[in-house]
Amino acid sequence: MAELRGDFGPGPDRVLTEHFGKDGLDTLAGYQKVGGYEGWKKALTTMTPSEVIDEVRTSGLRGRGGAGFPTATKWSFIPKEPGTKYIVCNADESEPGTSKDRYLLENSPHALVEGIAIACYAIGAHQGWIYIRGEYDLQYQMLQRAIDEARKAKLIGPSPFGSKYAVDIQLYRGHGAYICGEETALLESLEGKRAQPRSRPPFPAIKGAWGRPTALNNVETLITVSWILAHGGAAYAKFGTEKSKGTRLFSVSGNVQRPGVYEMEFGRPFRELIEGKAGGALPGRKLKAFWPGGSSAPVLPADMLDTPTDLESLAAAGSMGGSGGVIVMDDSHCMVKAAARLLQFYAHESCGKCTPCRVGGNWAVRTYARILSGQGSDVDLGLLDRVQAGLQGGRCLCGLGDAAGWVIESSMNRFRQEYEEHALHNNCSVEQGALAHA
Amino acid sequence: MSLSPHAVEEIKELPTRFPAQSRSAVMPALDIAQEELGYLTPELIKEVAGLLDLDSGYVEGVATFYSLFHHKPVGKHRFYMCTNLSCSLRGAEDLVKHALDQVDVSTTDEVSPDGLFSVEEVECLGACEFAPMMRLDHKFEYDLTTEKLDALIAARRDSQPKKKKASHG
Ligand SMILES: Cc1cc2nc3c(=O)[nH]c(=O)nc-3n(C[C@H](O)[C@H](O)[C@H](O)COP(=O)(O)O)c2cc1C
Ligand code: SF4
Ligand code: FES
Repeated sequence: MAELRGDFGPGPDRVLTEHFGKDGLDTLAGYQKVGGYEGWKKALTTMTPSEVIDEVRTSGLRGRGGAGFPTATKWSFIPKEPGTKYIVCNADESEPGTSKDRYLLENSPHALVEGIAIACYAIGAHQGWIYIRGEYDLQYQMLQRAIDEARKAKLIGPSPFGSKYAVDIQLYRGHGAYICGEETALLESLEGKRAQPRSRPPFPAIKGAWGRPTALNNVETLITVSWILAHGGAAYAKFGTEKSKGTRLFSVSGNVQRPGVYEMEFGRPFRELIEGKAGGALPGRKLKAFWPGGSSAPVLPADMLDTPTDLESLAAAGSMGGSGGVIVMDDSHCMVKAAARLLQFYAHESCGKCTPCRVGGNWAVRTYARILSGQGSDVDLGLLDRVQAGLQGGRCLCGLGDAAGWVIESSMNRFRQEYEEHALHNNCSVEQGALAHA
Repeated sequence: MSLSPHAVEEIKELPTRFPAQSRSAVMPALDIAQEELGYLTPELIKEVAGLLDLDSGYVEGVATFYSLFHHKPVGKHRFYMCTNLSCSLRGAEDLVKHALDQVDVSTTDEVSPDGLFSVEEVECLGACEFAPMMRLDHKFEYDLTTEKLDALIAARRDSQPKKKKASHG
């Protein structure tokens, strides 16, 4: 049984997590007891594929993998002509600070199986693939068992619910590379290659897995599709803001009292999530900063905790909703060190295809090392500025390069003083303060 | 060291599972090969390439791209310790030092003298609400402390079969 740390059980904005925590929800019997597979049955036996897409359009659902792209629109790009097509579920979850897909998979693997079946039907695919990161051993087993159970009960397979619409699902394991979360790198990896992003066009909707039209969706997106088909798009659209509909799962980690995966309606403030649900700062500490959407979302200072969680408000605040991974840092931690650690991550995970990303990331790592060892100067601050500018603005083939640039830029803009202390005076007032405190 | 007959059979079956056949079978095949020793040798890579009818340079290119494939000996129990931001904010770096110390190695490149342990620093493992955490023997270990690390190490030392006694699994 999964270890739960976060929201579960009924509540005013519990959509996906409403039944979490119930015994046996991860089994077919348990999932069906709470209405599981009713959405799939309704879609398959009473709706046309385009009606399914319309229902999802009504819900306003936007992708939860990071980019927030409208799911119904993505599906409608798949050519209508007959032929092999695929749904590929992105279960690579590797964005630092993000654990909500794991939470979903451990609690309700059947909800993903159902969502994939519905998505396959909507786009005319008969085969779904789940690309799951290799480190998710338990989650892999739980999914495999759910698929086997669903096949045995004839909910998927050659004739689900006695229909003629065959759907099957297979799992594919990743092998430890963050870049595989990027959708075209994921496809390369699924095809057994080094995971280097493809240049677009052609987009995966035209030429995806094994050269066939493919829609890629995040775990949370597809699980939400199951809910929408069971309860209706209009019911889902009652939650959230005008442009960011529904709820999302936020994984809150770092220096808070109650780290966990919490479900919240879009548009309520981060304060409610971080200080309310997650309990706020540890005793004697003050919150200093938070990354609102995984490490790739530009960092915000704690005085912006009243920023609403919807994608538009975050963009207006100079950040993004990203993966919903909320990393919280308190006043005992140094921003330069945190940024250095993240750059180490981006440099390590760069696939090496574009020069600014391959070279710039390593430059940044070396520059941070110099600054943190007390050998820095204003030259290094200028260097970091040039590197971040070079990483951004479409010079890189995929979002990893931009993200690395944003980490540098946002942390330097918001916490300039800490950078200057380190680079110009070989001083860290934060860690000295923390020592004095201890 | 070459592949066991059982591994050879398993690898030969793999391509039928995929539309593009042998290319997509590369990683599952390398998984099977890696089970033999805990890491991949040039010979094992060549053998996998041969079984899948692929160029061995190609297979090596794949094997070196992904961090879950190892190319040097690893401990029987490998600590994959997350040191990304959420875990670092909750003390991961000190725990890595502690683990290295306790298994008696000085770097993440070494295997402990008894062959039982090695330690690797890894990126976010997607369980940040349980930080600091790690993956060990295909299982996640949460809310790590020095005491918890000590207990995990001790349990593995204790369960070692005494020399010369037969053991299964
Ligand atoms: C570097 C990088 C890493 C990504 N990692 C993930 C990931 O781990 N999981 C995920 O669902 N999407 C990830 N994405 C986003 C995917 O490319 C893609 O947009 C998403 O899976 C689409 O699904 P959605 O429309 O349901 O959000 C990543 C993107 C980039 C640029
Ligand atoms: S931006 Fe970086 S990770 Fe993305 S394709 Fe270019 S080199 Fe690879
Ligand atoms: S940062 Fe350690 S598990 Fe995510």
